[in-house]
Amino acid sequence: MKKWLFNPFIYIAGAKALIIGWAFMLVAAVIGYFSMTHFDGVIDVHIGHISPMWTYITETAIDWALPAIIFYIAGLIFSNSSIRAVDVAGTLALARWVMVFPALIGFGVHMPPAAPATIDEVMKILTPSVIVFGLLTMLFSIWMIALMYNAYTTSCNLKGSKAILSFIGGLLVAEVLSKLIIGLIF
Amino acid sequence: MQKNLPHICPSCASTLKVKSLVCERCTTEVTGIFSLPLLASLTQQEQDFITDFVVSSGSLKIMAQKLGLSYPTVRNLLDDIIQKIEANQKNNKTTSK
Repeated sequence: MKKWLFNPFIYIAGAKALIIGWAFMLVAAVIGYFSMTHFDGVIDVHIGHISPMWTYITETAIDWALPAIIFYIAGLIFSNSSIRAVDVAGTLALARWVMVFPALIGFGVHMPPAAPATIDEVMKILTPSVIVFGLLTMLFSIWMIALMYNAYTTSCNLKGSKAILSFIGGLLVAEVLSKLIIGLIF
Repeated sequence: MQKNLPHICPSCASTLKVKSLVCERCTTEVTGIFSLPLLASLTQQEQDFITDFVVSSGSLKIMAQKLGLSYPTVRNLLDDIIQKIEANQKNNKTTSK
């Protein structure tokens, strides 16, 4: 059970993982549209402003594509195995399945459309439901990061400090780039 | 009970050699110093993996289907065995010098 929750890639990878992952990503984006939950960064979840459906889908696609490209390049550099792009892309797509939960939790939170500018405004919106949403979202984000790490190490056959350091570096680059690209597009 | 062939000395951790071979039928015994085959230094699980791999005509896809594992997992298992064999080969070369 623990393996299925944190490393399903032992059993599923390649095209199968890619199709299942894409399906979950689409579901998360559609639910996100209705609950106004944005995935505006590789590991970001924010709630509040209304946007057209394509915004949610594009954000999710960017969140998956950037780590897939970066970790594939990292795999080619650091791994001694003959890795396949479809395994990296597929396992990283499947790793995002847990984002369905924050999208669903978003229904229980009401945020003002404009971001708070002062501390008083922040304190006003800091309701128990917002705090619970924040904590649960953090939990699901950590789960997703653990899945992404296992996706990367399984698909690229990396272990030890080489795997940890290259993953942290890759994730940071992907996060910064995703924020920049999403910021430029929307 | 299936016995595992020991290949590492429990006292000094050096590679073990075969000292004698015996015919089960007539009890003829041959003595000498013989090296163990390279694959004997692998665990039973790893040896089974290699047998399955050969039987599957060296197809990782067939292996993955048989074992119920993903393709990269099976490739990683194979890569780990290759690494172990290479290390043993290197070790054998240095000890034989």
